[in-house]
Amino acid sequence: MTTTEISAPIIAVDGVSKRFNAGTDKEVTALENIDLAIRPGEFISLLGPSGCGKSTLLRCLADLAEPTGGTVTLNGKTPRAARQDRDYGMVFQQAGLFDWRSVRRNVELPLQVAGVDRATRREKAEEMLELVRLSEFARHYPWQLSGGMQQRVAIARALSADPSILFMDEPLGALDEMNRERLQGELLRIWSDTQTTVVFVTHSISEAVFLSSRIVVMSARPGRIAASIDVDLPYPRTAKTRTLPEFFDKVTEVRQALYGAPSDQAV
Amino acid sequence: MATLTLAPGTGWTERLLPAVRRALPVAVTAVVILGGWQLAVRAFDVPSFIVPAPTEILAAFGHDFGTIMSASRITVQAVLLGLVGGSLLGIAVALLISRLPAASAPVLTAAVVLNCAPIVALAPIFNNWFGVTSIQSKAGVAAVMVFFPVLVNTTRGLLQVTPLHLELMSSMAARPRQVAVMLRFPNALPYLFNALKLGTTLSVIGVIVTEYFGGPSNALGVYIAYQAALPRFEYAWAGILVASALGLLMFGLVGWIERLLTPWQEPDHDDLMS
Repeated sequence: MTTTEISAPIIAVDGVSKRFNAGTDKEVTALENIDLAIRPGEFISLLGPSGCGKSTLLRCLADLAEPTGGTVTLNGKTPRAARQDRDYGMVFQQAGLFDWRSVRRNVELPLQVAGVDRATRREKAEEMLELVRLSEFARHYPWQLSGGMQQRVAIARALSADPSILFMDEPLGALDEMNRERLQGELLRIWSDTQTTVVFVTHSISEAVFLSSRIVVMSARPGRIAASIDVDLPYPRTAKTRTLPEFFDKVTEVRQALYGAPSDQAV
Repeated sequence: MATLTLAPGTGWTERLLPAVRRALPVAVTAVVILGGWQLAVRAFDVPSFIVPAPTEILAAFGHDFGTIMSASRITVQAVLLGLVGGSLLGIAVALLISRLPAASAPVLTAAVVLNCAPIVALAPIFNNWFGVTSIQSKAGVAAVMVFFPVLVNTTRGLLQVTPLHLELMSSMAARPRQVAVMLRFPNALPYLFNALKLGTTLSVIGVIVTEYFGGPSNALGVYIAYQAALPRFEYAWAGILVASALGLLMFGLVGWIERLLTPWQEPDHDDLMS
């Protein structure tokens, strides 16, 4: 997963802007002139303070919001075509499982929507549950699972239709620190097993450094890309990675890109 | 939270014990209330036209068992017809207006307003429209009473889908029909069942009260009104208790169907009949 090799971008963002309430006195520029190219297999984090438009950018990629300017291309298609071809899976901050479906049937949902027959989707769902190590909970209902387990089901659901891209909007934000770190490890393992391109929105610096092959640092008002930082820590990354001096150096580098050079001031 | 205990014990004692533990408080409460009632009536020498003792009511019930049971059959038919008819109509209109977001707000407002009206007041009118002795006049009042809560609740259930779930379906490129079948319908089921549980009680009230204003001579409401006028109050009370048991039975039936159709619902909340 070195970032030096040259390959065609799987996601291309050209001059994308997003204005809310355009033309009124409540106009807000959420994104201004964003350019970004993401290569297949990258693990990209969009990192920034709240209000920097990182979620808005992700939603523009996923065709859940429409840019007011510029173009987005996924797999050479418009976001709408990519969404309709089910080129991506999506994980939100809340797991958003259907209460009335068992864990297995939740994972089957994208396949069912896509019209896959019952036997195939059942087999696929079981494979996905194995991937997130929840096989023994296939017949449970969501309320019987902890928050971290629910989020693993949501990841299995997002991946069940074998998308080439995985969009994640602060997926670990609602979890406690211990669960969060454990799931970060899981996520890297799943990423290396599936070779999916991941775009991951977060406001945690250490999370972005631990996970990403590249971090896109964003600044707020208006939302712009402040820096693009390659994270060359070798994969597979483990609990030990978090203790390496290189890890802390990278955290410092990212923090500087966010706040500027360190000073004696608070923050 | 993570209740991960699997497979409850299979021995019959282990299965019976929780049932006993659940039933015991109810049984004790019933004994205390009935015993207290009996004692109070005897101790204060309450005349039976005010409140008869439970033993008197029981004796009346035994004496008139055949009549009361036959009356109950007529009444149950009207209650069921009203409940099913009102529910089906409520569900149909809910489905219709949930497809037309512009129409749903005014229709719902009207339904909530009409729901506040004392619909049982229509009883004499319905008797006049459909004939005093017809089942339609009784079931009609019950159906109108059931219709409003079913309409309001079902519409809410169909429309109150979390934005997150809608976005999720959208991210999977789900068609509107798939959103309806896979998301809106199951989301509305618990709402519908809450309305149906309410509806069972309303349906019994609607039918009994309409029967007070006249009905086939062997209907439960007619029986109660007639016995009270005679006056044979212990017989009227026996009829009232059977009417209450009827409401309870229907409530339990709906609760049972609910557990069959919504097995995902967490047990032990708002589940009085388990």
